[in-house]
Amino acid sequence: MTKPCIEVHNLSKTYRVPVREAGLKASLRSLTHRTYQEVEAVQQISFSVEPGEIVGFIGPNGAGKTTTLKMLAGLLHPTGGEATVAGFTPWERRHAYLRRISMVMGNKSQMLWDIPPLDSFQVLGDIYAVPPAEYRQTLDELIDLLGMRELLTKPVRNFSLGERMKCELVAGLIHRPQVLFLDEPTLGLDVSMQNRLRQFIREYNRRSSATILLTSHYMADVTALCPRVILIHEGKLLYDSDLQELARKLAPFKLVHASLLVNSTPPAFPGGLQPVEVSEEGRHTFRLPRDEAAAFTAQLLGSLPVVDLTVEDPPIEAVIDQIYQEGKV
Amino acid sequence: MHSLKLLQTFARASFQQELAYRSNFFISLFHSLLNLGTGLLALLVLFGQVQSIRGWDFPATLALLGVYLIVSALRGLVFGPSLESMAGMDGEVLTGRLDYTLLRPVNTQFLASFRVWNLYAFIDLALGVAVLILAVVKIGQAVPVGHWLSFLAALVSAVATLYALMLVFAALVFWFPGVLFTWIFNSIFQMARYPVGLYPSWLRVVLTWIIPVGIITTLPAQALTLGLPLPLQLGGLALSVALVTGASLLFRVALSRYASASS
Amino acid sequence: MNHRGGWALIKRSWLSWMQYRSFFFLLAFGWMVPPLVYLFVWHSAAGEASIGGMTAPQFTGYYLTLILVNQLTYSQTNWTLGDVIRSGELNAWLLRPLSPHYNVLSAELAGKVVYLAFILPITGLLALVLRPELNAGPREILLFLPALLLAWLLRFIWGYWLALLAFWATRADALLTLQDSLVFLLAGVVAPVPLLPAAMQTVAIYLPFRYMVGFPIEILTGQLTATHVAQGFAIQAAWLAAALLLARLVWAGGIKRYSAIGG
Repeated sequence: MTKPCIEVHNLSKTYRVPVREAGLKASLRSLTHRTYQEVEAVQQISFSVEPGEIVGFIGPNGAGKTTTLKMLAGLLHPTGGEATVAGFTPWERRHAYLRRISMVMGNKSQMLWDIPPLDSFQVLGDIYAVPPAEYRQTLDELIDLLGMRELLTKPVRNFSLGERMKCELVAGLIHRPQVLFLDEPTLGLDVSMQNRLRQFIREYNRRSSATILLTSHYMADVTALCPRVILIHEGKLLYDSDLQELARKLAPFKLVHASLLVNSTPPAFPGGLQPVEVSEEGRHTFRLPRDEAAAFTAQLLGSLPVVDLTVEDPPIEAVIDQIYQEGKV
Repeated sequence: MHSLKLLQTFARASFQQELAYRSNFFISLFHSLLNLGTGLLALLVLFGQVQSIRGWDFPATLALLGVYLIVSALRGLVFGPSLESMAGMDGEVLTGRLDYTLLRPVNTQFLASFRVWNLYAFIDLALGVAVLILAVVKIGQAVPVGHWLSFLAALVSAVATLYALMLVFAALVFWFPGVLFTWIFNSIFQMARYPVGLYPSWLRVVLTWIIPVGIITTLPAQALTLGLPLPLQLGGLALSVALVTGASLLFRVALSRYASASS
Repeated sequence: MNHRGGWALIKRSWLSWMQYRSFFFLLAFGWMVPPLVYLFVWHSAAGEASIGGMTAPQFTGYYLTLILVNQLTYSQTNWTLGDVIRSGELNAWLLRPLSPHYNVLSAELAGKVVYLAFILPITGLLALVLRPELNAGPREILLFLPALLLAWLLRFIWGYWLALLAFWATRADALLTLQDSLVFLLAGVVAPVPLLPAAMQTVAIYLPFRYMVGFPIEILTGQLTATHVAQGFAIQAAWLAAALLLARLVWAGGIKRYSAIGG
């Protein structure tokens, strides 16, 4: 077995936030006597990631995803616990480590705005001391993968959000990092651009076998890219495993959709089950335990004039939303 | 070696950014000339009324204006715009883009200090040198070689002192985000347009020992016109070394604070 | 005109400005430094004697008044007007059932109050330390107040029409820099106007800039004869009328152009 690329043990981060009260008197008092509130952003998180894996970090806003990612990228000091990434302790910020990783943030740009992206890439190539031949090769490969050759000579200022994000990805990958942290890479993009970037990330991971840790608000990102998810809620790790497994575990029921030739009287359904929803076109939706679904559909087909029938899992968004609401798996 | 290559890269990229707007050159030229014009006219007005103020006559004060312009130009060339883009209005500390700076496998202070260049500062540099030459001509007698050497040494330590002070003010942003420390510093630096000896004694103490912007221009100008006593020369040099060291330490503390406090 | 809406806007601007008061205090500090520098320079130059009939304490009185007048008449809003036009924020102004001039005027008035909250205690403190001499009788004060009001209007509206040129040129704010420099040289900042060299003095008397800052102070410090005061008011009023006319014309032309090219 290979050694894990990322190993995290009991990682914690607590912020001290000064408490400010309204009013002049309170603000004068706070000059001499400040009161702080402790915010436990990340609490004792442990997990490990194998080389070449893509892992999705999910959780509601303020769950601690970005904080965890920033600690692993060496931007933040943890208040407790340990982490090893590619053999380094991230927050020592050794140059050898920084050369092996990259972080791309959907809400922050690293491009120079007034000049074409090619010049920004060159600056980054020089900063990371990428040998010229390797630089050209990597750049060519990335540009072809993203299909952005025509963008190279226009100033970034005039780009659309999607075009800019393509640039951010090239900028983040120009030094061929072993480990890639993606923080909301598809933020604000339209659906087809999201798809495009997902394809790119998957293909990049296949070709370079870089380890990728990704946070996103869009479940579609995670379902498309990450066989494995880590779910964080209020700083705690709630779940770490297969995404489909999570759905099965959380939602032990299936949805059966059956379109019937509508009669004037409501039909009698097998086992006296009532549909949870009936559409105007006569599409009936039933919700029933996973292991009873097969028997039910067989009976349904035998007893009623069914035109069309599908059986599916509940949508992953609904499952995740349920966890966010309840705060547990 | 890598550092030199990087300086070249940063300068080139910054120049490309500047050239993106054609009007930038003319606007810079306009501002430089305006700055020079007001500075010169102010001296003419002043010395139209008096022969000298506390030992500073017109040529000596003109030399000081030259030093002020040269030092400002050197600062405007590289570390001024770099630190401004980090700690100034909408700077990286506030927008969080400092994250990218911290992710680079290059010394962070080096990146923060030398990344953004303003090559139009060469206009100011040329004008400053011209004013200095004019001052030397006005002095009317040859400036001894010793004074020139002493002047150059003092100029180097003046630029180092200025850098250290700006770094300190920029670092303070990490403790008080949103406060325009670079603006405060620029305001205080205005005082360096005149010899520190012209200010009342309490202010002189502040401008020499607490925020030593006063000596940045006074020492080189004095070196050129009168020569500097050795202790003063060495003292200035020692002060600049101490300040740069101290400022770098403070900047390091500021960065570790950023790492432990930001979200 | 919708005056009630205008007042609501003023109140809102003032409330939001108070929230950022530390930011505006810093700006005010920066604007205070140049007059302060010349206070010290002329104070030192005068020493125990007098220059152009002014003693050192009189210079102090003159410049402390100037710090107040300069702050009261300085119009910061004209600097942001260009951005508002370029960024298209003007569209939002134009959508309201309210004259867009109110936006500028409300920011201007709100700013005055905030700046005053900073500058009054500071000048008070400086007065305690520096011991100025100011012999202003009721007659001077009575004449000073209208001159001050007109000075503010003139400086504000003059900057307003310059700022409105942003409808045509993106870098129109260079003209505001030029205005600042001319105010510095000709409006009594670098030296009281009576102390300027003869040629500059003549220019100063006929151009509008002296009437933006220096004129009211000269009245207050009793440097002007009755004829000069009357002549000054006449020139001040004439320039104000001209500024109003220009602002009207430029605004009308600018709006036409703005709606033609769609912002």
